[in-house]
Amino acid sequence: MKWYIARRLAWTVVATFIILSLTFGLMAASPDPQAASYVAQQVQEGGDFEEAQESYERARGLDQPLWERYKNYMIGMVTLDWGWSETRSQPVTEAILEAWPYSVMYATPALIISTVLGVAIGLYSATHRNSLEDYAASAFAFFGISIPDFWFGILMILIFGVWLGWIPIYYHSDVPWFSLQNVQQLIAPTLVVTLSSIASEMRFSRATALEYVNAEFVKTAKAKGADSWRRVTRHIFRPALVPLSTILVGDILNIVLVSSYLVEVVFGIPGLGQLSYKAIIQQDVALVLATVLIPTFIAIVGNLFQDLAYTVLDPRISYGER
Amino acid sequence: MMGGEDYRDRFEDIDWDDMQRSGLDSLTTQTAGFLASLGVVALLLVYDYVVVANDGPTFTTPFEWDVTQLDWLLVVTLLTVVFFAVYPLYDNPRMSRRYWREFRKNRAAVVSGVFLVGIFGLGLVGPLFIAKPDLNVLAQYQPPVFLSVPESTVGTCVGPVSDGMCHGTWQYPLGTTGQGKGIMKSVIYGMRVSLEVGLITPLIIIIIGTAVGTVAAYSGGIVDELLMRYVDIQLTFPTFFLYLLLLYLYGGTLFLLIVIFGITSWGSTARLVRSEALQRREEEYIQAAQSAGASEFWVIRKHLVPNVSNTVITNASLLIPSLILFEAAFSFLGLGDPTVPSWGQVISAGRSDIDTAWWISTIPGVFLFTTVLALNFVGDALRDALDPRAED
Repeated sequence: MKWYIARRLAWTVVATFIILSLTFGLMAASPDPQAASYVAQQVQEGGDFEEAQESYERARGLDQPLWERYKNYMIGMVTLDWGWSETRSQPVTEAILEAWPYSVMYATPALIISTVLGVAIGLYSATHRNSLEDYAASAFAFFGISIPDFWFGILMILIFGVWLGWIPIYYHSDVPWFSLQNVQQLIAPTLVVTLSSIASEMRFSRATALEYVNAEFVKTAKAKGADSWRRVTRHIFRPALVPLSTILVGDILNIVLVSSYLVEVVFGIPGLGQLSYKAIIQQDVALVLATVLIPTFIAIVGNLFQDLAYTVLDPRISYGER
Repeated sequence: MMGGEDYRDRFEDIDWDDMQRSGLDSLTTQTAGFLASLGVVALLLVYDYVVVANDGPTFTTPFEWDVTQLDWLLVVTLLTVVFFAVYPLYDNPRMSRRYWREFRKNRAAVVSGVFLVGIFGLGLVGPLFIAKPDLNVLAQYQPPVFLSVPESTVGTCVGPVSDGMCHGTWQYPLGTTGQGKGIMKSVIYGMRVSLEVGLITPLIIIIIGTAVGTVAAYSGGIVDELLMRYVDIQLTFPTFFLYLLLLYLYGGTLFLLIVIFGITSWGSTARLVRSEALQRREEEYIQAAQSAGASEFWVIRKHLVPNVSNTVITNASLLIPSLILFEAAFSFLGLGDPTVPSWGQVISAGRSDIDTAWWISTIPGVFLFTTVLALNFVGDALRDALDPRAED
């Protein structure tokens, strides 16, 4: 098992390296949208086309050979020197440091609520299969996975912001973090992110728990007089926890990352998603790259934890093979 | 799956020399029909690029239709669906009836299916007869028919005005955007976009995923290792952010969006097909085919692929809703095709006017939501109907 963990860690490093290299290749092979806009601007102001292009390339270090650029890029990535954001006039890492608390502020409660409630409801559905509550929960889950996050966010703003006036239409970032007002304006985004992740969680935990509801050991427990609470918590939840813990890290994290990106754009929360969105609109290449790579790294680490969790939680897997 | 066998023939009645496969004879009617239709499409494609003037429409009768790259792709996709999904069902009525019996049990899925046929049928045919919605400064912010808003928010009211309220008209049944574009027309064009994303992308995913999965499972060794490590890398990248980066760098047209979605999303399909095919490979009919001297390609084509097809179809049908949601999300973020009206684009266009013209952002979203919901219902029922092992 130690050998497996060591191999898994090594693979994480290799995968990160390959992904960084692939990204560099992509960036190098594609036309630089920022260069185009810079050159166009210089030409409009009466500058020479060739000269503008050259000066841009010099400023960004693009006149160096490809290998040199690749080396600088990789060293920069490792040493957290992620470049300079032109539109924000600050290092990319600094912009990210300023933005991430806003994302964490509502994504954490959303993640916790959806995990606890989602698993609980899923277990309940599985043990009360084909009951009215089960059908209601399934209908709700279908609703949750089908509704587009950004549209649901807009509906929230329309109904609770514009028509009822309960929440502000846009996020006010000048409000202190730990204040009632901040909580009030974060309720709607939290709900939107929660809905999209709770639905998948419910469906998955229901399906997983169903495999154990009629298992022999659960029947035995029942025959021996274990009450339903004990059966659910000790005999169904425990084995179901293994597959559940993996979806939790891998898939739910992914759903939260995506829906928070869209939610931030809709509600105007100055977190990582909006930072990335603005960078795309304003053609800030370094910032776009960084804000795409951060969720990717989170996903890589999430995958690593997912696999390690498996090794700890499930003694049945043999590690002789992949 | 393939043609109906005739069990009445006894062994000695069959002229085995006739059954030898050789050259063109080895083609089934299905494959032959598919290849012939592809040939016709290829001829038309050549005609479009060589004969027709660059800007001119490809066809002028019975209606004017300038066939774009994407339209060609859609035609090929539809042909594939007809020959490899509809024809086998028609050819094998016993199996079709069984699938239908299973599918029919899920009433929500049947209703959803009818709804989807309506939406996608309209999306397929509508854009041929309806002109693209155009800018009209004289028809900004018109409310949908039967509804009214204060005249001050509208600008010029197209419909009747009473008590200072502007009423919607049948000219713009779902109202208009801030640019005066009819939302009804945009919604119909959006159906076409969702149809293209939801049909072409899964086809690309199925083709690449099945090819890679079966080849990896059947070849084993270094080929398997390389292909599966590549899949690992591809799956490590979170889909949304991979699309985001690629669309930012290369995007701009719907054609590219579909191609990018297609060629970067087949990882999980390939993995699924591989594990399924690994199980199938051990079965006796494969060994029988191998002992009879069947080539690797023949075994994969005739024995492995048909036997994993249900898994693949189920997997793809569950991918479709998320692909459509992704397209809408990227159109919403402004990374879609600015020239093609889509649901996400209209939702985004109405965002800043949410307090005065609520219908712009909400109406296309209703279509997006109901379509995705219906697709999820149908996908779920398909899984139950096609996969007998999923029964509990």
